[in-house]
Amino acid sequence: MSDELIQIETPFAFNEENQREFDALIGRYPVKEAAMLPTLHLAQRQAGYITPAVMKYVAEQLEVSVMKVKDVVTFYPMFFEEPVGEYVIRVCHTLPCALRDCKGVLDHLKTKLDTDVAAETNLAKGTTPDGKFTLMKVECLASCDVAPVIMVNDDLHKNLTPEKIDEIIDNL
Amino acid sequence: MAFVKLNDLEIEVEDGTNVVEAARQHGIEVPHYCYHQGLSRPANCRMCLVEPHVFFPPAGAIVPDRQLATGCTTVLRTAPPDRKLDGKYDFIVRTDSERVKKARADILEFLLVHHPLDCPVCDQAGECDLQDYSHRHGHDKSRYLEVKNVPPKKDLGPDVLLYATRCVVCTRCIRFADEVSGTGELGLVHRGSHDEIDIPRSHEGVPLQVLDNKLAGNVVDICPVGALISKDFLFKSRPWFLEKANSVCSGCSVGCNITVEYKADGVYRLKPRFHEDINQHWMCDDGRLGYHYVNSDDRLQLPLKRVDDALTPTHWADALATITEKLSEIETEDIVVIGSAQGTNEDNYVLQQFAHDVLKTTQLGLFGHLPGEAHKFPQFTIEADKNPNTAGARTILGSTNGNTVLEGDALWEKVSSAKVVYLVSGAPERPLEDAEKAALESVDFLIVQDVLPSEVTQFADVVLPGTTFAEKDGTFTNSTGWVQRIRKTIDPPGEARVDWEITQQLAKQLGGEMNYHFAGEIALEIAENVPGYADATHQKIGDAGIKLADSTQ
Repeated sequence: MSDELIQIETPFAFNEENQREFDALIGRYPVKEAAMLPTLHLAQRQAGYITPAVMKYVAEQLEVSVMKVKDVVTFYPMFFEEPVGEYVIRVCHTLPCALRDCKGVLDHLKTKLDTDVAAETNLAKGTTPDGKFTLMKVECLASCDVAPVIMVNDDLHKNLTPEKIDEIIDNL
Repeated sequence: MAFVKLNDLEIEVEDGTNVVEAARQHGIEVPHYCYHQGLSRPANCRMCLVEPHVFFPPAGAIVPDRQLATGCTTVLRTAPPDRKLDGKYDFIVRTDSERVKKARADILEFLLVHHPLDCPVCDQAGECDLQDYSHRHGHDKSRYLEVKNVPPKKDLGPDVLLYATRCVVCTRCIRFADEVSGTGELGLVHRGSHDEIDIPRSHEGVPLQVLDNKLAGNVVDICPVGALISKDFLFKSRPWFLEKANSVCSGCSVGCNITVEYKADGVYRLKPRFHEDINQHWMCDDGRLGYHYVNSDDRLQLPLKRVDDALTPTHWADALATITEKLSEIETEDIVVIGSAQGTNEDNYVLQQFAHDVLKTTQLGLFGHLPGEAHKFPQFTIEADKNPNTAGARTILGSTNGNTVLEGDALWEKVSSAKVVYLVSGAPERPLEDAEKAALESVDFLIVQDVLPSEVTQFADVVLPGTTFAEKDGTFTNSTGWVQRIRKTIDPPGEARVDWEITQQLAKQLGGEMNYHFAGEIALEIAENVPGYADATHQKIGDAGIKLADSTQ
């Protein structure tokens, strides 16, 4: 085996507030493993992205193997394994949004932010050099009636036009 | 028992048997990838689809069910009397209808969508379920014209490589690591058609954990395709050139059932063989990779004799003459004969017979005590005693002729006061403690029978080249009282000989009347003379082994 095992230099741990939240949510599930998704969201909110230290910590907390955590992290596109911008902009490109010109939305954002679109395993590609924005395409955001839509962090923006996009971005 | 109509057969099967097993019991193949007898059943590969039949009231007839079902999870049970089909069947299922055949071929086409055409360089070729099922159940061409996924080849652990392109994502390996070894190193990364087996790694690909548990090699065995590959066997031989013999692992006292795969020039690999009560489907990597000493260039190939303080190769006649000369001038009470927990029951039987009949001594010892670490897994145990036949050697050496078998300190005390010691070892890696060294050093004339130069042979005056488990027939008794057969595969190197034959030759030189021709003949005598071993003839032991009545033996 040529590869050396990764050395975790700065271990991750929940801060006081998140620990309280974790303690509360773990009680809602029949088995600890079932709390995987909310725990990972909590950890990602604190750490910014899912580092090996985070995976190890979450595995310990939920009493599962590290691989089980890695499995979930790579399955769901909402978990990031590399640093992302302060604002993550998710552009829906599923059918109804596509029919309502999500490509125009995406192109407008690309030009405005001067960045490419992130690939699932290469988020740096869609992140602006100043670390402010990460631009990515996502599947359905469940708001087809108000297409095209984007999400900026946790906020949904609907019925987009270039002007609306400019306004949203400029107000950030 | 459930009464089942399987195709055109009427069969009885135990309640709880699934369709795949029921069919297998009657010589009918239901192809499958994800299903494995020793693991849980996710039914994800869809290869084992079969066609259950149900009663359809509107038609008043028994018809094929609307959907095909996975044979691995379709469990056969006795139905209540009012639910019998045709008034008698508990279940009706077809594995050979056109619908089933088409489903199989189509599933196979899907499984092969991203599969590379690298069979010519694939280690699994010749023992590959993709090849075999394609041949028996598949289409002869693919309709897929898109670009294939080409995930990278990955290093998973000390002995396991993943050729991810060949993987059909059956997840047997993941379930093995979760359920049998309980170590959980394996999982799936990414999603959908980009699913890949992997160990946990950082985003950059540096592992957090590797597949290095002591059962890791089993994932290579259960991989139905050429995705998981043993580095030890990689590119060594096409599997169809290997001869196979059923045997027993000599790595510890568990006695895992194995298949020794070999060619004339040596042993190539060991594979576990199913035994319900001993090792199920598995074996550990210590045993699996522990065969290399058999092929070693350092193997003792000629007798050695001490000339001017150095061990010098000689021929058998000279070595035996030297021993005979020495033994004939020594008093019986100055001789100690030491058997081996690495040797077979037959080796040890002949040895004690030699001690009793020819040397007229009852002073026997057992060169055992090869301690290592025990490892316990959820569904597997590795024993701390690294000798395969401690139980057998102890019983056989001591059970007849009123022998006493000395072990440990008592043995070494005896050795230090002996003039001649005949020590059969076969455990060349066993380190000697200082007291043991001192005892051996003090022996006037030390005869050692072994397979490799070792700490013991250093003290020897004559070294006789013996044989490993791969070069002889015989039986081992494991720690739970199972007597099982090992079989000769390759010839011993050079002029090395089977251990009991050497002992018999010595006996003859000294005027003994021993005349065994093959190991099975000795086993017959063991069956007759050793308490508890009455059924332990080679014929009765066969491939399944027999359990001694008194399991403390």
